[in-house]
Amino acid sequence: MSNPLPLRARAESEAKALPPLLARARHLAGAVMLGDHGRRRAGMGDDFWQYRPVQPGDSRRHIDWRRSARSDAQFVRQREWQIAQTVMFWVDNAASMRFTSDDALPEKSDRAQMLSLALSILLNRGGERVGLTAPTLPPRRGTAQITRLAAALDQEHEDDYGAPAFAAIPPYSHALFVSDFLGDLDQLQSAMAATADRGVRGVLLQILDPAEESFPYRGRAIFESGGGTLHHETLQANDLRDRYLRRLAARKDQLRQLCRATGWRYHCHHTNDSAQSALLWLYRAFDQGGQR
Amino acid sequence: MTFGAIGFSSPVLLLALAILPILWFVLRAIPPAPVRRRFPGVALLLGLRDEDSSSDRTPWWLLLLRMLAIAAIIIGFAGPVLNPHQKDTDQRSEPLLIVMDASWASAIEWPTKRAVVDSLLDEAGRDARPTAILQLSAPEPLAFRAASDWSGRLVGMAPNPWAADPEATKDIITLLGDEPFETRWFSDGLAREGRDDLMAALQSHGPVMIHQGNRQLMVLSPPVIADGEIVLTAHRLTADGAADITIQAHGRDPNGELRLTASVPVSFAEEKLSAEGLLSLPAELRARLTRFQIAGQSHPGAVSLVADTLKQREIALIAGREDREGLELLSPLHYLEQAFLPAAQMLEGGLLDILPANPDVIVLADVAILTVAEEEALLEWAKNGGTLLRFAGPRLAASDTARNAETHLMPVRLRAGGRMIGGAMSWGDPKTLAPFAEDSPFFGLAIPDEVTITAQVMAQPDPTLAERVIAQLTDGTPLVTRKRLGAGQVVLFHVTANAEWSNLPLSGLFVQMLDRLATSSAATTPDLVQMQGTTWQPVQVLDGFGHLTQATTLPGVDGTRLISEPPGPTLQPGLYDGSDRRLAFNVTTAEPDLRPVNWPESVPVMDLSPPVEQPLGGVFLSLALLLLMLDILASLALTGRLMPTRAIGVVLTLLLIPDLGQAQQSKAQLATSEVVLAYVLTGDAQLDRVSDAGLRGLGSTLFFRTSVEPANPIGINLEADELSFYPLIYWPITPDQPAPSDQAYSRLNEYLRTGGLILFDTRDANIAGFGNSSPNGAKLQRLAAPLDIPPLEPVPHDHVLTRTFYLLQDFPGRFTGQPVWVEASPPDAEQIEGMPFRNLNDGVTPVIIGGNDWAAAWAINESGAPLYPVGRGYSGERQRELANRFGVNLVMHVLTGNYKSDQVHVPALLGRLGQ
Repeated sequence: MSNPLPLRARAESEAKALPPLLARARHLAGAVMLGDHGRRRAGMGDDFWQYRPVQPGDSRRHIDWRRSARSDAQFVRQREWQIAQTVMFWVDNAASMRFTSDDALPEKSDRAQMLSLALSILLNRGGERVGLTAPTLPPRRGTAQITRLAAALDQEHEDDYGAPAFAAIPPYSHALFVSDFLGDLDQLQSAMAATADRGVRGVLLQILDPAEESFPYRGRAIFESGGGTLHHETLQANDLRDRYLRRLAARKDQLRQLCRATGWRYHCHHTNDSAQSALLWLYRAFDQGGQR
Repeated sequence: MTFGAIGFSSPVLLLALAILPILWFVLRAIPPAPVRRRFPGVALLLGLRDEDSSSDRTPWWLLLLRMLAIAAIIIGFAGPVLNPHQKDTDQRSEPLLIVMDASWASAIEWPTKRAVVDSLLDEAGRDARPTAILQLSAPEPLAFRAASDWSGRLVGMAPNPWAADPEATKDIITLLGDEPFETRWFSDGLAREGRDDLMAALQSHGPVMIHQGNRQLMVLSPPVIADGEIVLTAHRLTADGAADITIQAHGRDPNGELRLTASVPVSFAEEKLSAEGLLSLPAELRARLTRFQIAGQSHPGAVSLVADTLKQREIALIAGREDREGLELLSPLHYLEQAFLPAAQMLEGGLLDILPANPDVIVLADVAILTVAEEEALLEWAKNGGTLLRFAGPRLAASDTARNAETHLMPVRLRAGGRMIGGAMSWGDPKTLAPFAEDSPFFGLAIPDEVTITAQVMAQPDPTLAERVIAQLTDGTPLVTRKRLGAGQVVLFHVTANAEWSNLPLSGLFVQMLDRLATSSAATTPDLVQMQGTTWQPVQVLDGFGHLTQATTLPGVDGTRLISEPPGPTLQPGLYDGSDRRLAFNVTTAEPDLRPVNWPESVPVMDLSPPVEQPLGGVFLSLALLLLMLDILASLALTGRLMPTRAIGVVLTLLLIPDLGQAQQSKAQLATSEVVLAYVLTGDAQLDRVSDAGLRGLGSTLFFRTSVEPANPIGINLEADELSFYPLIYWPITPDQPAPSDQAYSRLNEYLRTGGLILFDTRDANIAGFGNSSPNGAKLQRLAAPLDIPPLEPVPHDHVLTRTFYLLQDFPGRFTGQPVWVEASPPDAEQIEGMPFRNLNDGVTPVIIGGNDWAAAWAINESGAPLYPVGRGYSGERQRELANRFGVNLVMHVLTGNYKSDQVHVPALLGRLGQ
């Protein structure tokens, strides 16, 4: 067993980052007012939906005697069908996400974690179950799950680019993949194909730094990936700009294509934009996804 | 090796310039170093090729920059010299003698002279010529040594405040020896006896060259007093056109500090060698003058020291009767006062009280009887040089003083009763004065016809009477008699000092007589006879540049020398103390002998031209450094490390940092955009941190508990910062903090008057009672003395401070239980029946004074934990809570004033509503 003292200290220092993230995410989520979240059809639930005449096969227990007494027919009282959706998050925390081009801007992973946590708070408030694919956190409801989620989100990866983990996504649930999607797309493709086969709908949220959008570099430079495995040397960085931007546009196009093929939705968010707008978009995306 | 005007000390290094072209190609081949950047988008970059590989070379202008830098380095180390000294074709080898006048007139352009001598020494050193320096004012036997030896000594050489006299010049000729040498003579340009002989002697040893400055020499004669004004006479060496100069009068101010008291503009007319300036000063100021100096001439000849020649005499007036109230014109002293007032300082008081002050003159007006003690003291004083001036009068005439035997303090014996002449009941006409005899001190004064004497005391005819009379009437009766007493004298006017017995006191003659007797005696320079046998001790002497220095070890000099001899090594100009007075001995006499020297035609005379050699190595090396700096910036810019916008930002920041006004403005902006609590920066960094942490803690308490949400506290500098932005200023007291300046106090008072509040905290738990003996309390008293603070009282139980937010009766900080003082409630405040508290002051108390160290109790660290322990255990925490509550109440009181006091009107308002 390891020495408990350093472990405790490390745990404390790890835990230190949590409350602010949670607080900021709560703050962000607090700005969104939740609307009606019923399924708008009869089913298991608490709220009244409609009275309908008794049909063959209805159990007598379901007959609402008070309503039936007012008329000759017998009625069954139906409640609105309320089911909890399951939303699984995959938040890329690889080295490429821990990048910011300016001290004033948050790291991409920071924005990704905050947005996912805020969304999960919103969803949790709406009664949905949220979970995490990597590290695997089974979908649950409740405030404790948010805390667990916040703790799990904080784990970092050493890899250059992250690959979506999809094994834990239950069939017919929803998924949110948050990444910069700058690495290899093959794994993403296979992941989305596999999940789409299981009837999973979801959202791809691409988070980019403004420097990755504009490529403001000049002169002789060696570009390195976050983990240091990839590098590219150029003598005139400004010459590369146009071609880089074309490639980036192509990459975004590819992601859109992928989403169209699998019925997912795609959104690109920049760290210098307001997190609020991204959260609203995400929330609406899941709301509509629920209606379909 | 020289190129045009530039020469090189090590020209071989210039060969290195040949490598520049090689460097050009080498540098061109090496591309600038790449920047390593983290960039997640690199995955998208993989496989992209550079279209244009030409810019991997360093651009030509950067290369040129570097080439220039290297060329500048090479040239700089090659030792370039502008206008290198052209050496004489024939190198001399005979010894070099440098003769310097080093007289009082040499201080002009002394640094230039020294620089020229220095370059001569350098040159002699290069030629390995033995060198000697001879100062004519302080001659030493010639010692030919290596020139470098002299270079070291040269720094310490200074002109002397005297000039070589003819005797000394003769001695110098014997010092010269008989070996040949070349002479350079640095002369002050003044003709003196014996110069021709010296010149001939020097010429017999070898060639002579004269170096002589061009600046006009001006000297200042000692000031003379004429008609109440100080006459200043300046002389110059040559009459070359009109010139305006300024003579400065320095004196001590009432605090004893030396200051420039007055400046007199003096103009030399076109052809004149001397010019006069008049200075009229009040006697008070005149007495404090210490020296005059021609501005811009820093040599002792342009300085005229003043000892006590301008000083006023102290005159003590003592009357026999003082009980006649209101009869001003009959007062025996009135006319004396009027006569002495413009020129002397009066002392009044009892005789024995005045004597220790050692006045110069004591006037006894109609005082007949002196006690034995008074008489002895007066005698002692008079023998030490005092002048006793006595006036007759009814009392003296009626008394038996000096009736039968001569007393010490009366010049003559007196007959009983005196006489009346020219009255209604007497015969004969009033008498007039006879002309003054030649040996009389009054000799030369014109006698007005209207002066008549109607009554007087009569002197007994004695053998000594004739020699003691200094003024007499036309009938030969003595009017003024005098007797010498040791160094002093006793003078008797046989009439009264008022107009009772004669109209002499009404005439101008009276004033002139008194002037001669009493007032002006110090302003005259003593003559040779007086000085014989006296010894004078130098107190301060002038150095060669006209500055006063202490003359601690100089021996005393004979008095006659001060009058008859010019200054010399044993008689330095300066201030000399005699037995009873101080003399100023100046370089320049009233009629200075200033003549330009006439050198023989055969001797070349040179200006003092400064050395022209100017090494340029430093310039080239700095240029190289500058170019390399530019290269750094350019390289950074080229590799993209220097973002243009950031560079501009950096430059702008650098430009803005020195602008303190900007900082003050930002402080003001900060202070005005939020509620900001302020504390006074005491200069004690630890204490300032505590104040800051305390107010931060108070701020966070306010933030959590009330609707007041203060920003971070600001430390204010009372001298520089605007105070009106801050509702509350916390002022901790340390014993050693500096007191604010007058301007700061006026702004503090303005702040207090316009509704600000200062919380004074002595932080010592008030151990010594209020400000009695604790150092902090005493300091608080001193600091607060100039502040406009109303009467204070300990916080009454119904003060609004006790209920502005919390209900409090105690105001603890880290210490508790001590009274806290606020502005006293008005005396007419009374508790009305049925009201919970009195109707107290409107507005906010301007100060709150206590010693409970509140800031330490409020102080929190970054994470919000308290910084300092308060008390023990739970009660301590309770005390801290109360301290915080006091802080909340305080800020609420400052922000809302007497709002909570207004509740006293609630019953009345309710009653009115009910009607």
